[in-house]
Amino acid sequence: MSTETIALRPGTGLPRQGKPHGGRGRRLALTIVSKYGTLIAMAVMILIFGLGVPNGAFLSSNNLLAIVNQSALTAIIASGLTLVLVVGEMDLSIGYAASLAGILVTGLMANQGLPLPIAILATLLIGALIGTVNGLLVTKVGVNAVVATLGVGTVLIGLAYGYTAGSPIISVPTAFTNITLGRFLTIQNPIWIMIAILAVLWVILNRTPPGQRMQAVGANKNAAHLAGLRTDRAKITAFIIAGVCAATAGILLASLLGSGTVSAGDGYLLDSFAAVFLGAATLRDGDFHIIGTLVGVLVVNVGFNGLSLMGTPTFWQFVFKGGILVLAVALSTLARRYSKA
Amino acid sequence: MVLEDIRPRGPQELRPLVRITDVSKSFGGVAALKEVSFDIRAGVVHGLIGANGAGKSTLIRALAGIGRPDSGTIEVDGQAVTIATPDDAASLGLAFIHQEMSLIPGWDVLRNMALGIPPATRLGVIDWRPTRTRAKQVASRLGIRFSLSTNVDSLSTADKWLVLIGRALMRDARLIAMDEPTASLSVEETTRLHQIVRELVSSGTAVVFVSHRLDEVSDLCDDITVFKDGAVTKRVVGERTTKAELIRAIVGRDLVILERGHEPRDHGRAILEVRGVSDPDLLRDVSLTVHAGEILGLGGLVGSGRTELAKMIYGALPKSAGEVVLDGKRTAFRQPADAVAAGIGLVPEERRSEALFLERSIDFNINIAKLDSLTPSALFPFLSLRRARQRAQKVADLVTVKASDVEALVSSLSGGNQQKVVIARWLLDKPRLLILDEPSRGVDVGARAEVHRVIRELADSGTAILAISSDNEELVALCDRVVVLAEGKITGELTGTAITEDQIISLSFARDEGKDSAA
Repeated sequence: MSTETIALRPGTGLPRQGKPHGGRGRRLALTIVSKYGTLIAMAVMILIFGLGVPNGAFLSSNNLLAIVNQSALTAIIASGLTLVLVVGEMDLSIGYAASLAGILVTGLMANQGLPLPIAILATLLIGALIGTVNGLLVTKVGVNAVVATLGVGTVLIGLAYGYTAGSPIISVPTAFTNITLGRFLTIQNPIWIMIAILAVLWVILNRTPPGQRMQAVGANKNAAHLAGLRTDRAKITAFIIAGVCAATAGILLASLLGSGTVSAGDGYLLDSFAAVFLGAATLRDGDFHIIGTLVGVLVVNVGFNGLSLMGTPTFWQFVFKGGILVLAVALSTLARRYSKA
Repeated sequence: MVLEDIRPRGPQELRPLVRITDVSKSFGGVAALKEVSFDIRAGVVHGLIGANGAGKSTLIRALAGIGRPDSGTIEVDGQAVTIATPDDAASLGLAFIHQEMSLIPGWDVLRNMALGIPPATRLGVIDWRPTRTRAKQVASRLGIRFSLSTNVDSLSTADKWLVLIGRALMRDARLIAMDEPTASLSVEETTRLHQIVRELVSSGTAVVFVSHRLDEVSDLCDDITVFKDGAVTKRVVGERTTKAELIRAIVGRDLVILERGHEPRDHGRAILEVRGVSDPDLLRDVSLTVHAGEILGLGGLVGSGRTELAKMIYGALPKSAGEVVLDGKRTAFRQPADAVAAGIGLVPEERRSEALFLERSIDFNINIAKLDSLTPSALFPFLSLRRARQRAQKVADLVTVKASDVEALVSSLSGGNQQKVVIARWLLDKPRLLILDEPSRGVDVGARAEVHRVIRELADSGTAILAISSDNEELVALCDRVVVLAEGKITGELTGTAITEDQIISLSFARDEGKDSAA
């Protein structure tokens, strides 16, 4: 019985007294909405688009694969962000880190003449370095994460302009663009890369001591500290992983675009936050988790793809994107509140 | 209404302010309250006691408008009422002061006291002048000596309670429910709070007093209602009762109180030596030794520096001077992780905020400090969930955690079982030294005996134990030796049969009479 103490959980405010609670049936329904609402929304969208888009174009395997392919980069960057949110911090530098990574990987090949693997490796290291700086600022110096990562992100914009003098880097080797154009077993490479990265992050978070410690730090930092966990280390690790994921997405984006462009990856910031919060409202009660993040990314892209196939004007697609985020999170919050009342 | 209008009468004559009739509530099929009926009379102190999970908090939540009962009626002044929200409770004159302080940090006393008072002007702005005047009256009634512009962060726990009581009085509360008000107060502060409670009831207010301290309840309360498993097992109305009777009603049987070894035992070698540890504000030249197999109690008033000493030993607070020696080696812990690696464990004072991951499973909470030993090797660093559960189950059984299984959420456990989970965490590897800060705070009588048994067994297996407690009865029952701190300085040491509550209390109040006074 969880009601022994009168104490309320921090941050939850007073539990609202909902409608006089109905029977077990309603409670079950509410639990289903709170946990599976996002999935149900996705199923409904697939159904509507499947029937609504002419010639079954939406449900063709090519289109479905395209949706996942479009989701891959956002999913990679959002999964890294998920870890930062798991430890209870924020990272607003990821989009800018992705942009810088795209410029660096192309520039290191075009301007510095480095071979492809070395350029990629160096860029990933820079990603890790960005994460380290974020992590150190937040933990050792104690700067608020929003401020620290926004500041670092802004510096990264500056560095990107400085490195390119503002003009895109367009001479890239075919081997580089082939990374994202290629397929393996008829499935696009970015999808495979996404699956691999998400699998690794899922295992880290759920099946390794460092991942469990990250979860502990996010759940109760004070308790984690006094239980003998190195909380700073857990947070810095999360920031580093987020930096590497951002760099990976930036590299893949440059490969897709065939160029390194300043601000190419900036949009990932909002997309990944939307995905992570949509995901947190899925399956688990408000916890950030990798599977949820993937679902969050897919929901947004299914909607985008379906709406554009139906010829909906672009502005509707943004209304949809913002709307579904607010709606899904609001629904799951409400459902959770009433199902516990 | 004006409080002063009601003249106290003999306890038997006072009319019921709140009448609770056949109130039941269940959570997911588990009955938390089973047809509970009793009266709360105006002008008396009404004690609510019972083990954790017995239903007293559920009942209070029902009165406070944060958990409506499934059935039954609540009457106030003879009128049946529906209390659906905290606002309903407030407008009926019912005020609730919770264990976790509900003060707004950083605000001053006045603003905290005025919180929740309906806006006084038509513009919706609080008119501060009458509010301040009213607050001053309330403050003088409560004997508040600090200024109303004091920041509440700088107040002691006892003074914070006064502010919260003041807030209730500002709203003309006719009933004030206090949840374990004395749990973190010193003896002196407790006495003061008792006086205030008596003063409140003498002017007609009803006070509902939830406490685990049975001596206090039998001394202070006029009426007592005892809960067990959601039902009322004993009602005392205006008569004397003994602690033994209360215990019988709480546990439903005679409790075997752990016998302590009256002879000083022979202990092993020194595990922990604290030498001259100081801190400008908190501690002055504290030295003590804990031996293998020994339970050393650390007594004294709240604020005497005991918790800080524990955290300095544990590496959670810096010390300005002195050294901590573990197994003959001087330590230099930079954070608790270093202390844990050296074989020290801490059961902190604030279980919910400092020790537990409430929305996680029992096995997560137990295993979290020792995850690396759950992986096959450093080269294959993956956890086996099955092994994790089995390992947690083993230690949870050792400390008799009562739960369906180790995958249950810790938040679903009672206070006593939560405390057992925290202790179980440190039983995975037998620690060299275990520090327990208030091991049985918020733990019911039955679970407390079990916690004590676990601590004793751990000591018998060779671990050195440092136990901090403000509950002198606990120190007497549990410890082989007790060191008492007062104002950051050790004022005395008691061994064997010399450990008595009277001795601990008198040492707790011992003060430095002059600079030259010898220890």
